[in-house]
Order: sequence, then C-alpha cells, then structure tokens
Amino acid sequence: MKEIRTALWLAIVGGVMTTAAFLMAFFTAEVQQFGVVTLPKAINTVFPLQGQGADGFAYARPWFSQKIFYFHVPFAEASFLVFTVAAYFAVRFLMTRERSYDTKSRVAMEVALLFVVLTLITGDLWTKASWGVWWEWEPRLTTYFIMTLLMVAYFVLRSSLEDEERRAVYGSVFGIIAWINAPISFFITRVIPSDHPVVFKSGMATSNLVPFIVAQVGMLMIGYAVYVIRVREERMRERLEVVKDSLEG
Amino acid sequence: MAEKKQGLHISGMRQFKAILKKDIVMELRTKEMLTSMGLYALLVLLIYRIALSQAGSAFDVTNIAGGLLWLAIVFTSLLGLNRSLVHEKDQGCLDALLLAPVDRPVIFFGKAIGNLLFLMIVEVLVTPLFMLIFGAGKYADASTAGYLALILLVGSIGIAGVGTLLATMSVNTTGKDFVLAVLFIPVMFPLLLAVVAATWAILIADPQMAVYWKMLGIAAVYDAIMLSAAYALYEFVLGA
Repeated sequence: MKEIRTALWLAIVGGVMTTAAFLMAFFTAEVQQFGVVTLPKAINTVFPLQGQGADGFAYARPWFSQKIFYFHVPFAEASFLVFTVAAYFAVRFLMTRERSYDTKSRVAMEVALLFVVLTLITGDLWTKASWGVWWEWEPRLTTYFIMTLLMVAYFVLRSSLEDEERRAVYGSVFGIIAWINAPISFFITRVIPSDHPVVFKSGMATSNLVPFIVAQVGMLMIGYAVYVIRVREERMRERLEVVKDSLEG
Repeated sequence: MAEKKQGLHISGMRQFKAILKKDIVMELRTKEMLTSMGLYALLVLLIYRIALSQAGSAFDVTNIAGGLLWLAIVFTSLLGLNRSLVHEKDQGCLDALLLAPVDRPVIFFGKAIGNLLFLMIVEVLVTPLFMLIFGAGKYADASTAGYLALILLVGSIGIAGVGTLLATMSVNTTGKDFVLAVLFIPVMFPLLLAVVAATWAILIADPQMAVYWKMLGIAAVYDAIMLSAAYALYEFVLGA
C-alpha cells in the first residue's frame, strides 16, 4: 500500500510540474524569433519592429510552434530512457530467470510505448507547423518510427505465445534486439545530416531551459508512477492466478 | 584411454557439418525449399511487372531497381526462414538436436549457414533474371558483378543470421509467419536501407563507388552487431 501511496504522490507532483511547465512555456519562456513579417500598417504588438520601408512595417515573427519543444523533447528523452530500463530488466531476467524482472521489463516497455506515441503525436504537429508536411522520411523520423514498430512487434510476439516461460524469454530476447535501434535513433542526427533539429548544441536561455527541465522531471515522475502502479497490478494478478489454480486443483 | 576420449568427443566443426549436411540432404531429397523459394521469387517479379505496367517505356527502372531486387529477396527469405524452422519443429528435429550433446551456438550456426546457402542459391538464379527482364543493369557491365555478389553476400548474411533467431521464436507462436514478418521487417530495416543504396550505386554505374563502400561498411557493421546479439541470445531461445 505504501508503494501505491508514493506512486500517487509522485503522479500528483509530476502533474503539477508538467502543468507548471506548460504555463511557463507560454508565459515566461523567451519567445523564439523566426524570420520577419511585413505588414501594410503598424500594429500594437509586443514583438519588436524590425524596420519601416516602402512596403510596410517589418515585425519579428514569433515562432509559436517552438512551444511544442517543451513537451516533445522531454517525451522523446523519456521514451529512450524507459526503453533502456526495459532492456536492462530484460537482460536481468535472462541472467536470473526471476519472473518479477520480466514483469518489470514488460511494464517498462508499456510506459516507453506510451511516451513514444506522445512523442510521435507532438512531433507530427510540429512537423506540420514547421516543415509544412505531416511526415518526412528523414533519418531521425525513420529510425524513431522503426523503434515504434519494434515495440509494437514486442507486444505482438508476447500475445502470440501461450506458454508463460516462452513468452517471458522470447519477449526479453526480442526486447534486447529491439533496443539496439535506440542508440542509433538517438545519435543519428549527430552523425548523418538531418532536418531534425539537434538541441543543446548551441545552448539555451535560462527562461527556456527551466520549463524544459521542469517538464522533463514532471513527466518522468508520472511515468514512474504509472510504472509502479502497473507492476503492482501485474503482481497481484499473478498472485490471483496462483490462488485460482490452487482452488481448481 | 586417450583414444576413447577422442572417440567420445565430437568437435564443434563436426557437429556443425552434421547439422548443415542434414539440411542439405533433406533438401536434395525433397527439393522443397528451393522450389518454393525460387517460384515465390519469380511470382514477386511477375507482380513487379504489374506494378510497372503503366509506367511506359520512358520510365527508367534503374533508380528503383535495387529496392525491387531486395524486396524480392526479403519476401523470399521470409518464406524460406519460416519453412526451414517449421520443418525442424513439426518433425521434432529441434527437440532431438537439443537432446543430442551438441553445443547450442553450433545449432545456431548450422541453421543460419543452411538458410544462407539456400538464400544465396535463389539469389544466384533470380538476380540475373531480374536484370534481364527489367533491363536494370544496362548502365553496369560485367565488371560490377563482383561488387553485386559482395553486397548480396553481406546482406544475406544479416538476413539469414538474424532471421534464424527470429524464425526460431516465431515458429513457436500461434501467428507463425505473420509474427515472423512483424519481427523481421523492422529489425532488418537499417540493413535493407544500406544494401539497397549500395546496389543502387552499382546499377547506376557510380564511377567512384564512394556510396557503395560507405553503405557496404554500414551493412557490415550491422551484420557484426546483430549477429553477435543473435549468437548470444540464441541459447536462451532454444532453452525456453
């Protein structure tokens, strides 16, 4: 019960932090400027007037789609981190054959898949706003999409196996094989020329960095809370199965 | 005493040869794998003809020919890998192999080399046919055949090696060939991207071959990483 209480507190604190990050992203974070827009007459705006020419008034154009950065990037980093945790537990399972490691690995994979889906949704919105297309076959997007398919394949494999021991072993083996793609996807934008932006190369203003970190910590807290509650649920289900079996037998 | 010990101990090489020989002998008797894989590859080429039927004579197939060739190989190998392991399981051969005092890694290499061998035979038959009927190799000449053989070998090693591991898992699932496809295609994706680019470089007769060597390197690195992982993990899959 103590575990669950801690998890609930983590979820609440994480939720508050993520909400705070959302508000900070819109109200305190420095607005990224993106190009110049020329209007026929002067308007009342907080964005600085760049110049006044024959064709009108030139204003710095704010880059609102950049706001998604505070959510997309933490989701993506969390997905890589939790996927790595899942692969670690898969290795532990194969080494020790303790069933609890397999449960942990599977639940971590679920949480990772949740973060992956959120990354894809937020990334897609940004891609449409920034590149004008919903999807581009670009190295980061391609490898990340493959990573998603590998995670889905992990669950397809598990649900297609009836024997419990086999499900655990095959799941762990495939989880490790699938994880090999994670570092490739993570580092590929730094190796191959890619349209996908590389963050933290040029540094960031403090007002941008703070909501980013708050969002990242908050999301990891929520993710961890979901993980703890799900592991607990699975363990209770396993116990229930044992009780059922002994009653039937 | 020493003689007796020698008689009992069967070296890994002999175990490996025995497993490989078993697959070859079975194939020579039934000719099942090669006919089904060969025929299937031929049917894929026929499907390509349908896909390209409205493209017109001005359409140059060279740019996509590498991709088409590797697609045919991927589909054919999916079929072959599944069959190769279904045989082992349905006839109880895998269980017998596990009972026999054979090292687990040897089983992996025996099966993987067997699959590689059949895949290469099908490739040797299908690739020239593909070049002929689609006119894909018109910019390349006979001197590039060696490059093509090399990239086909590197790609097939990855397909057969990782495919053997994945097929050993998928034959035990209820989904069998469907599960194999779901596992196999995303895992193979980086390798296929590299080998298709390398094949493209050959077919357009890229004079420097810089793309070819770079992509061959990537494919070889993929093979090394994935084969090490498959080799290390195969023991667990067999034990379950």
